[in-house]
Amino acid sequence: MITAKGLYKRYKKTVAVDHLSFDVRPGVVTGFLGPNGAGKSTTMRLMLDLDNGEGETLFDGRRFDSIRRPMNEVGALLEAKPFHPTRSARNHLRMLAAGNRIPDSRVDEVMEFVGLAEVKRKRPKGYSLGMAQRLGLAQALLGDPKILLLDEPANGLDPHGIHWMRDILKRLASEGRTIFVSSHLLSEMQLMADELVVIGRGKMIFNGDVDQFVRDFTQANVIVRGPRIGDLTAALEAAGAEIAKGDDGELVVSGLEIGEVGHVAFTEGVELHELSTRRASLEEAFMSATGASEQFVAQEIQAAVEQPGGAQHA
Amino acid sequence: MLDALRYEWTRLNTLRSTYWLIGIGLLCAAALPTIFGLADGGETPLAPEDIAVGINGGASFGIPFLAVFMAIIGIFATGHEYRHGTIQPTLTAVPQRNRLILAKILVASAVTAVVTVVSMAINAGIMLAFWGEVPGLFEDPVGSSLLGYLVYTEIYMLVGMGLGLLFRGVPSAIVVIFLMPLIIENVIAGLSVIPALDWLVPAIKFLPFTAGMMLMSIGGLEMGPGAPEYDFFGRWGSGAVFATFAALIFAAAWTLFKKRDA
Repeated sequence: MITAKGLYKRYKKTVAVDHLSFDVRPGVVTGFLGPNGAGKSTTMRLMLDLDNGEGETLFDGRRFDSIRRPMNEVGALLEAKPFHPTRSARNHLRMLAAGNRIPDSRVDEVMEFVGLAEVKRKRPKGYSLGMAQRLGLAQALLGDPKILLLDEPANGLDPHGIHWMRDILKRLASEGRTIFVSSHLLSEMQLMADELVVIGRGKMIFNGDVDQFVRDFTQANVIVRGPRIGDLTAALEAAGAEIAKGDDGELVVSGLEIGEVGHVAFTEGVELHELSTRRASLEEAFMSATGASEQFVAQEIQAAVEQPGGAQHA
Repeated sequence: MLDALRYEWTRLNTLRSTYWLIGIGLLCAAALPTIFGLADGGETPLAPEDIAVGINGGASFGIPFLAVFMAIIGIFATGHEYRHGTIQPTLTAVPQRNRLILAKILVASAVTAVVTVVSMAINAGIMLAFWGEVPGLFEDPVGSSLLGYLVYTEIYMLVGMGLGLLFRGVPSAIVVIFLMPLIIENVIAGLSVIPALDWLVPAIKFLPFTAGMMLMSIGGLEMGPGAPEYDFFGRWGSGAVFATFAALIFAAAWTLFKKRDA
């Protein structure tokens, strides 16, 4: 269990993390979402006492710096490639293991587990980003900890690697471990996370389960298909619905529950071929929830091209 | 604390640079008695000053090879953590910052002591091979001069480690450990010879690296022709000046290390 209370960090005039408090429960994967610059990495660094700020994070009731051999309790993967270029990957893990009384046999075990056994004696400066991420995960798993904090662990992984990472994290969570993972791959997060902590500009936007997040930040639509659906429009609008036409001619109804739409169709005597609810994706919910708190906003392509003196395509 | 020591020892002995820096340091230190022996052929009887210079590899001569290489190891112990971003995994393995720094100091100091003693043994062996004897090796003034050399190398290494931690990097720390003793202090000492700048004279004994040289001296420092009387402190008093300099750097670096983000 992770309990974060009043986390706060300021860089001169900028507040990076603004009094964040949340719990991360064991047995589920908790995703940590936010736009670029929202303060996700800073929050994780604050939780591990790497950055100085305000607030407190307790890992199963203890502060990180009070845990005697922390890698046996809390595993962390923060930055890709934080390795000395001339020290072999195996020696990098041996070094960390030495400070936590972890035997060398465990080093070989985790290298095997993450698929780096064949290159364990090579220097990580030659590793691809994906390999470095695997080594980072090996580092986090070294002490077989009950709690894992992973910052963008899927960065640089190929599709097989991402699938593998997702399975690993879900399995570890099912073993009762506490998994807190940030990612910008929303489709992955939708498949992997059970709960979410969503922040924007350092402030809490949402803390709860994924379905609730999607429900809270998007509107479910009812899809209606049939040979005479045009006859329904007036009756649905009279019932308070907003109606749009879909790409295939279907009606996209919002503002009414599926049962209410079905009832209108029944009373109007209109034959239906489809009556279904379309839930929004996590991505749509994320865009809706964090749109106002996006810190670094890129220009649309058209706008950029129209800028005077801007780069123009030949 | 034992876990932090184990961590730091593994960190140090899994770096290739540790071995080649120690190797080059030992070779450079051994070069001086070798050249001395080849040139003299072991014919001139050895004076205490000759023995001290030969065994400390020219350190009391103004060329502290081994001390410089050990200082680079000290710089790497702290500066590399920031240069390569390993401070993050380090602090997730050993989050108690005081313990971590103390472990770095203890491990690097122990290695420096062992390497310095080995270097002195090698150099004594070389001198023994050329001259057949090294008289008064464990007696004063040679004995205390060699003890001073051990202390000098330790303090030099700690200055390097403190600078690496203070600057959170390697290049600036290396520049300081070369620039300060070889250029800045020499320039100040040189200027003090000019009569118009004789107000600098009382300050010379407080120049840290110059004062440190007194730790190894036999019969005082030779500051060049026409140099005024600098009234240096004694061997251990001057050593205290050098040690205070190292302590001030470390105090600043340690305080900032506890306050700064990793």
